[in-house]
Amino acid sequence: MTVATAYSSLKQVNEAIFELQGQLSITQPKMVLYFASSAYDPQELSVAMDNAFPGTVVFGCTTAGEIVSGKMLKESIVAMAFSKDIIEDVVIEILPNIKENGDMGSAFANFESYYHTTMQDADPGKYVGVVLFDGLSCAEERLMDKIGNYTDVTFIGGSAGDDLKFATTHVYANGKAYTDAAVLALIKPGCRFDVIKTQSFCSLGKKLIATKVNEASRTVYEFDGKPADIAYAEAIRKPVDKLSSYFMKYPLGLMIDGEPFVRSPQQVKDGSVVFYCNVKEGMELQVLQSLNIVQETMYAVDNIELEMGAIKALLNFNCILRTLQLESQGITDVYGRIFEKVPTIGFSTYGEAYIGHINQTATMLVFG
Amino acid sequence: MVAGKIKQMIDLIVDKRSNGNPAIAKVTKTKLVLKGVNPDNYTSTSEDDAQIMLKVRQIAAELGVAL
Repeated sequence: MTVATAYSSLKQVNEAIFELQGQLSITQPKMVLYFASSAYDPQELSVAMDNAFPGTVVFGCTTAGEIVSGKMLKESIVAMAFSKDIIEDVVIEILPNIKENGDMGSAFANFESYYHTTMQDADPGKYVGVVLFDGLSCAEERLMDKIGNYTDVTFIGGSAGDDLKFATTHVYANGKAYTDAAVLALIKPGCRFDVIKTQSFCSLGKKLIATKVNEASRTVYEFDGKPADIAYAEAIRKPVDKLSSYFMKYPLGLMIDGEPFVRSPQQVKDGSVVFYCNVKEGMELQVLQSLNIVQETMYAVDNIELEMGAIKALLNFNCILRTLQLESQGITDVYGRIFEKVPTIGFSTYGEAYIGHINQTATMLVFG
Repeated sequence: MVAGKIKQMIDLIVDKRSNGNPAIAKVTKTKLVLKGVNPDNYTSTSEDDAQIMLKVRQIAAELGVAL
């Protein structure tokens, strides 16, 4: 067996890990990745997961809901163990203090020294990165931008959640639980790999240009020279006092080659609109309308399966806003079943990573 | 009026960074959009706006491309 997936909903850390170990039937896996509800004590869990798989690279993060082949879960732990056939090699680095700094010079120097190649020259066809952020750091755009400056290797991943408490999120590595940090894993796969970025929206053909913003606080004060809330409400033809109730259905998107990089609004604040990721001054955003998440995701997964043949493993970083939409429609089980025959783990994120920081999207790393 | 310099600079960034690899060229264009400069908005007749040129030079430096 090259990949094994596992989940446990047992409440005690040691019991849950014992159950996971029983399901992860790979002798000496190269890497174990896990995503866990914030209900588990972070320090205890991280130490116990590291102890459970000695000699293996073990990392993960907290979630706002978990995904495992065929199921969407709550208050559980999901894990995947990879043999060397899938993950030929992997090295992880922690980026501390990302709110203030997040310098990644030393992390990338360590990657270079480990793989004996500069990150500038690292072949994106031979390496792939996974990145997990403290989901309340608001540092994701800055760090993804820096990663993109350093290398053409794709880094894909998501922002840790905390079951919608918005209090503390953790990333896990080296037997420790970190806040205000990110984990970067640079993987040399032993098989084919590809990424999926899927979001279920079409453009309404209406544009909003951000004319006054505060990037750091992810706030747009004005679109097209008007107060942001008024311009947004006019664009979707809804009353301004009810604007926030339409955010999930009509987010905005930066269109690149006809594909949206979604910017999801979070709240209206004194006439401004605060987003879940930043909007730069002068950015031209399209007004989007939500479509069928299940159908579009199924199409994306089927397509990649056609291209790659059988999928050996899939990591799904699925936006919490998508999960909430699925819950409101009562179709989380239908979404889970898309991945029934595919070895999958994933989680509901506070933001997705692919080239940049995005919202209302699922980014997936697929091994085939 | 002088024109077209911004497109030239953007094309140079994409060419140098991608080294002829179309997948990297596409990702580099996406990075430019996310950094606030949309390559599709500039043609050989676009005005040489000093502020945008400064921004593009800054992006080139960030991406390690000498213009």
